[in-house]
Amino acid sequence: MKRRFFHNRTAVATVAFVLLIGLVGVFAPVVSPHDPYETDILNKFARYSAEYPLGTDHLGRCVLSRLIYGIRPTLGLALLTMLGTIALGAVMGVLAGYFRGAVEEVIMRVVDVMLSFPSQIMVFAVVGLLGINVQNVIIANVFIKWAWYARMIRTGVMQYRDRNFVQFSRCVGMPERFILFRHLLPSITSDLAVLASLDVGWAIINISTLSFLGLGVQAPVPEWGAMLNEAKKVLTSNPVQMVAPGVAIVVLVCCFNLMGDALRDVLDPKEVER
Amino acid sequence: MKRYVIQRLLMAVPLLMAISFVCFVFINMIPSNPAEVALRVQQTPIITEETVAEMEEMLGLNKPFLVRYFHWVLGCLKGDFGISYVNPARTVAGELARSLPATLQLAAASFVIVTVLSIPIGFLCAVYKDGWFDKLMRGIIFITTAMPAYWAGLLLMWGISVKLGLLPTNGNGTWKHMILPSFTVALSYISTYIRLIRNNMLENMKQDYVLYANVRGLPQRSILVKHILKNSMHTCIVAMGMSIPQLIAGTIVVENVFSWPGLGTLCISSIFNRDLPIIQAYVLLIGVLFVVFNLVFDILQTVSDPRLRKED
Repeated sequence: MKRRFFHNRTAVATVAFVLLIGLVGVFAPVVSPHDPYETDILNKFARYSAEYPLGTDHLGRCVLSRLIYGIRPTLGLALLTMLGTIALGAVMGVLAGYFRGAVEEVIMRVVDVMLSFPSQIMVFAVVGLLGINVQNVIIANVFIKWAWYARMIRTGVMQYRDRNFVQFSRCVGMPERFILFRHLLPSITSDLAVLASLDVGWAIINISTLSFLGLGVQAPVPEWGAMLNEAKKVLTSNPVQMVAPGVAIVVLVCCFNLMGDALRDVLDPKEVER
Repeated sequence: MKRYVIQRLLMAVPLLMAISFVCFVFINMIPSNPAEVALRVQQTPIITEETVAEMEEMLGLNKPFLVRYFHWVLGCLKGDFGISYVNPARTVAGELARSLPATLQLAAASFVIVTVLSIPIGFLCAVYKDGWFDKLMRGIIFITTAMPAYWAGLLLMWGISVKLGLLPTNGNGTWKHMILPSFTVALSYISTYIRLIRNNMLENMKQDYVLYANVRGLPQRSILVKHILKNSMHTCIVAMGMSIPQLIAGTIVVENVFSWPGLGTLCISSIFNRDLPIIQAYVLLIGVLFVVFNLVFDILQTVSDPRLRKED
């Protein structure tokens, strides 16, 4: 599998790019040329220059620095959302797929109800009812997405539950815990990885949308959606403001989508058998 | 057949119940007391135990949970969704009814755009698979799926309204106001349908009946249009029908970008004002629309496609 990964150029390139972005975000204070909160009102809407590579915004803050610091909330919250979603989905999916019976019935009916709600609306509903807060944005996103993962993981678990190697483990008296963690979870990891990397892009768009509407990350924090919200106010006078954060979102989301497709090629179990 | 339809209808009932229950539980799950929230948003100067109790009485919050739920569901069935916290003189139903037409207008316009654009583009992509048009379209689709709707809206607004001065930037009134917002909504859905139609047609092209039509020496055009496209449209029409509520839900962001006075704008302003009954009713409305459209198109598909019919 490692060899196939390094042979797949898209996979290597996208993973490297995501890691690079992540590192830049982590080391934002070292990498960014200015303080993202430092205002310089005399130098607002500056053009691209050596000192301000992407110019300055309506308060004279360095756009590049804000973009770099913006990686933290944008990417960080998206990853946190996915982590929560997968954790909750995995617990529910494994419970349903493994234990069957009444547990499964209850979980799957709840999943059905969750899936029948339009996800976009549910995010707004949860944020609206719990209050405007970054923490609630994550809760909302996990809340609407876990059902998809629960269903997928359940299908995966059911597929492998009756395979010979699991049957054998059971026959020789391995504890249930062993079967769950050493057989079933590793078997569905690859499917999960593909789905999750495709959904990171979705989470980035969703969180930035909420921030853009003023329901997520709040103003002075340099989140990309929040930056676009500020850029919207000066759309007519300074349209350049909306280029940098928008392009950043599109590039990052494209990268995650490509990565998901590439990982699917790398991890496809059909390929393994060949 | 009849049995299937009845079964499907009966299955929708518990789903609708569950949706209404979730909506109801939500408003009762919030950390603060709804009566207190209502008092706060009305900017009552002093909030005492008595005023809270009075408000609870007025909003019917002092009754037991299940009683309140059934009361609320019965009210909803009669079209009474309660009163707005922000402005008690207004009913939630009235507020929704006021904003609904604008949203439906927008969703209808986007639906037309999606249909008109995605069918021919998907058709051409499938016919000229791997040609320059297909490649170009695949590139565009790839980028539009990664593009947040609000950014696309801002770009269109800047390019077409500000730079070229062709269309108004926001508000509604004439048909001109509708073009940009509806196109923005459509943009995020077109890519899905182009891909759907393209893949469906490619799938159909591999079928035996196409080979047979070719053997019979039918002209390519009639094979493509009369056989392949017609057969591919089945699934597409159903998928499009099921996506109508999604289009209505999808307007929420775009409406706010273009200040379109519809449900989306109402919903966001209600979130800022903590006007919980409006949010609740909005979610319920969209949830019910989802179930109903899914039901109708699922049944339609079964009726129209003999392969799915399970006679017993």
